Amino acid sequence: MDKNQNNEQQQIVFHPDFFVVPDNGEKPYLIGFSCKKCGKMWFPKLPICPDCWSDELEKKPLGRTGKLYTYTVMNVPQPGLKAPLAVGYIDFPEGVRVGAQIDMPPEKIGEIKIGMELEVVAGVVRQDSNGNKVISYRFIPVC
Amino acid sequence: MNSREVCIIGVGMTKLHKKAAVPVDELGRQAVMAAVKDSGISPKEIQSIYIGEMGGLSGSICLGQRICATLGLGGVPMANVESACSSGAIAVHQAWKDVATGRTDISMGIGVQHLSGSRASGTAFAPDANDPEGIQGVTMPGIYAMRAMRYMHEFGATPEDLALVAVKNRRHAMMNPYSSFQNPITVEDVLNSKMISDPLNLLMCCPNADGGAAVIVATKEKARQLGAKLVRIAASEITSGIFTNGFRDMTTMEITYRGSKEAYHMAGLGAEDINMVECHDAFVISEFLYTEAMGFCGHGEGVEFIRKGMADYGGKVVFSPRGGLLSCGHPTGCTGTAQIVEATWHLRGEAGDRQVPDCKAALTHVTGGGVYGLDNAACTIHILTR
Repeated sequence: MDKNQNNEQQQIVFHPDFFVVPDNGEKPYLIGFSCKKCGKMWFPKLPICPDCWSDELEKKPLGRTGKLYTYTVMNVPQPGLKAPLAVGYIDFPEGVRVGAQIDMPPEKIGEIKIGMELEVVAGVVRQDSNGNKVISYRFIPVC
Repeated sequence: MNSREVCIIGVGMTKLHKKAAVPVDELGRQAVMAAVKDSGISPKEIQSIYIGEMGGLSGSICLGQRICATLGLGGVPMANVESACSSGAIAVHQAWKDVATGRTDISMGIGVQHLSGSRASGTAFAPDANDPEGIQGVTMPGIYAMRAMRYMHEFGATPEDLALVAVKNRRHAMMNPYSSFQNPITVEDVLNSKMISDPLNLLMCCPNADGGAAVIVATKEKARQLGAKLVRIAASEITSGIFTNGFRDMTTMEITYRGSKEAYHMAGLGAEDINMVECHDAFVISEFLYTEAMGFCGHGEGVEFIRKGMADYGGKVVFSPRGGLLSCGHPTGCTGTAQIVEATWHLRGEAGDRQVPDCKAALTHVTGGGVYGLDNAACTIHILTR
């Protein structure tokens, strides 16, 4: 039987292989992948290292906060997403840059600044074509 | 590389329409007929044909064959090529390659796109929804807005600076009968237009358009026989993006730095030799980034370069004499070919009121494609000389 049936508000965690939401209530975090052969760090999960083609990539949990490299507030996001939607690139100390939504209420969206510290949280990034809520990583300002 | 000299013997294009009254294959046929007429050859002399269209948008497979069939151009090698906005320029590159390597003496590249008939207006192009950034809702205007935001942060450019490019390119387009838009605009008009993705207003983003363009290339000997003004392809360069997810500098357009360096090397020319550029100004920030990436000024100096009118008539080099993507509109697969048509007219001295004075060398540049981890997926550069 289709597991999506009889479930109006199915939640789907996107990319569980590089975004971890612990069951024990601990805070979510992202995972980088370090090449065992050449040491290069990658995000997200890749089947092989694009630099040396080694398939031995080691999971390395990333810290929970990073610095905002740049951002924009989209008034015309992809169809099906609500405007205004802030997105940005967040640089992690491990050498990885992650592009994602910044979760800010519309009245506070003007407070986003390049260089600010952001922390990763789990949230609904969109609904898929079946109306299921897609859960993935988003960012909020570090208080 | 051992290659023969290649010249452009015929060019043609349709007006770029906000909404074309004819379907995509007819736009292609109009462009081909104009280019064949311009060249003076018999259509049956064309020995290979390449067609660039941004894949899937027309809903047609083998679009090139559909365009060419009833023109009686079948029976020769024909291939449809796709790399987003670079598609049309890559079609010309393939034609160039056939002649340069001696496989053919005359070949044709076509670029065509009918956006109004194939996608809803008011939406923005976006990366694939399955890639990690696509799922987050990022659009192409969003990505360029983030480049602009960082550029303003690092180099002190203002929204007024960004607006200058839109105003300049519209002023150029007013002299171009092929452009979608010909009404004048001011800095205030640009800044007061709808905010799409901060800091990019509507008039800072290229509009959709429909159009077709075709370029016929041949050996220098054939071009001489035809008696036309010689326009030489001094460089035809394509390259692809390199995957990186580290701290890349989003104000340094790596693929264009690399591509233009290779193109200058192939042509034996430098930025100082170029009189005009048709660049991929899909968004106003592009012109700042590309004046730098193509070596017309140093990193971060694009602001001063543009403020001082160095990228305009009377400056160092004329950027987008036809009005660029910003005012001509951006029929994605067609744009790269249309840029080469424009450059050819300037080199022949046939560009009318917008003629770049004494144009000796022209550079055309299109990138293309939002793919996760790549600066751009594709970059195609042509350098033409007379």
